[in-house]
Amino acid sequence: MLEVEHLAVSYGPTRILEDVSFHVPRGRVVALLGGNGSGKTTVLNALTGMVRPRGGAIRFGGQDCAGWRPDRILRLGLAQVPQGREVFASMSVAENLELGAYTRRDREGVRRDTERALALFPRLREKARRRAGTLSGGEQQMLAVARALMSGPRLLLMDEPSVGLAPNVVGDMVAAIRALREEGLTILLVEQNVGVAAAVADSAHVLQAGRIVHSGPASGLLDDEEVLRSYLG
Amino acid sequence: MLSGLTTGSIYALVALGIVLVYKATGTINFAHGDQLMIAGFLAYTLHVMLGLPYLVAMLGAVIGSFLLGALAERIGFRAVLRSNLINVVLATLGLSFVLKGVARLTWGGISDYLSFPPLVSPDPIMIGDLILLPQQLVVTAGALVVMGLFALFFRLTTIGRAMQATADNPKAARLVGIRVEHIHMLAFAVGAAVAGAGATLMAPLTLLYPDIGFTLFIKGFAAAVLGGLTSLPGALVGGLAIGIVEALAAGYIHSSFLEVSAFIAIMLTLVLRPRGLMGGPPPRRA
Ligand SMILES: Nc1ncnc2c1ncn2[C@@H]1O[C@H](COP(=O)(O)OP(=O)(O)OP(=O)(O)O)[C@@H](O)[C@H]1O
Ligand SMILES: [Mg+2]
Repeated sequence: MLEVEHLAVSYGPTRILEDVSFHVPRGRVVALLGGNGSGKTTVLNALTGMVRPRGGAIRFGGQDCAGWRPDRILRLGLAQVPQGREVFASMSVAENLELGAYTRRDREGVRRDTERALALFPRLREKARRRAGTLSGGEQQMLAVARALMSGPRLLLMDEPSVGLAPNVVGDMVAAIRALREEGLTILLVEQNVGVAAAVADSAHVLQAGRIVHSGPASGLLDDEEVLRSYLG
Repeated sequence: MLSGLTTGSIYALVALGIVLVYKATGTINFAHGDQLMIAGFLAYTLHVMLGLPYLVAMLGAVIGSFLLGALAERIGFRAVLRSNLINVVLATLGLSFVLKGVARLTWGGISDYLSFPPLVSPDPIMIGDLILLPQQLVVTAGALVVMGLFALFFRLTTIGRAMQATADNPKAARLVGIRVEHIHMLAFAVGAAVAGAGATLMAPLTLLYPDIGFTLFIKGFAAAVLGGLTSLPGALVGGLAIGIVEALAAGYIHSSFLEVSAFIAIMLTLVLRPRGLMGGPPPRRA
């Protein structure tokens, strides 16, 4: 469904991504792993148009969408759950969800997706009127996922959804990712927590210094001493 | 005191535009007062020179100012909004000089100070001991109506909601598909349109001259700072407070306070309560 070929990104003169290629098949959960500053977020940002790639191709459902504006890519069906949650802190949970559907005009579909997101994260329903900035870290993370789902994506990009969460909340997040996968949603999951990736992903790619240095099935990750030690610390 | 309320409501309109642009883009538009001045001259042209009815002239000034604000953002700011703050401030200062120059060139030949005819009978009305000038009442009411319309626009329309979202978190706004450049342009345009309404309301009370923009900018900026710079209700409260304090200071202390009280208000606010009366954290720049 998503094909990334020879993706290259620079910030000014600094080359962040040299040559990144990988595929995300429809209906799968693919993990993208790597240490701090290895360029994981930059890959997602290039996919959603938040930064312009310097070179390479990004094909989504057959469309080459490299360098498109973020709103066009979102309409095409690629939504990002950003690192650090980035909720609209001064607005209510309900307003955050409404804004997630900003690009949509089909009221009926939006209503259905609101229901679906609130069923996935029942705690958001209880707190619908609360300002997002007053939620706990875990609740803000749920809101960030729910907001991305409100655009009705075909591929969900998640950037370290488990970071900074209490162990039982990490469990909730893993369950939510599994539930989305059951519904048939395709997911590209960026993680530093290899345990989470191994628990939900089908396959994994490891990014280091702007290149993919290892690809393989996710289930083997925790046993693969060499990958763990040399790439992920 | 009552005249303070009237000028204060004008300051509030000026402050509203400054706060709107600040919230959306994280920068102060130093040309805001000059956009207001241009709108005043536009209203003068339509009403006095072309003889159109006052309300039509106001509408013309609002629309003209809206378009000018959008144009200014597009050609003057879009390229620099991404670079550092100094460049943006320089760009707004540059625009300020350009607008003053345009005003001198276009309207300067007529007279340095243009007077706008009164809207309603200038005779005062007495209610008990109170002396009310109908003109002031009309201006105050007009300013409040403009603010009310603005608040409705902000609360109820999708575009208003998108502006709020962009002010809250520009990165998240882009992620949900809001075109942040359009929001910047719209903030400049709507800010200028509100200034246009303010200019037309104010014109019958004051004289119009090319340098009026800076004077009003300082008053509106003081009001905005007092209100917290990020709060639209704060802009209203700040504007009224500056207007009243100014009138009281001029009346009871010395008339020279009329000019300096705005500066004093800015300094006192920054020293005593940097977030103003109703301000939140500063916006992140996109
Ligand atoms: N806007 C930017 N301008 C310049 N350099 C940047 C920018 N954003 C990121 N970088 C640099 O690019 C490199 C990769 O950053 P990126 O955020 O993609 O890494 P990451 O793998 O997501 O790291 P983390 O695990 O810490 O989130 C880092 O060295 C970072 O300092
Ligand atoms: Mg990252």
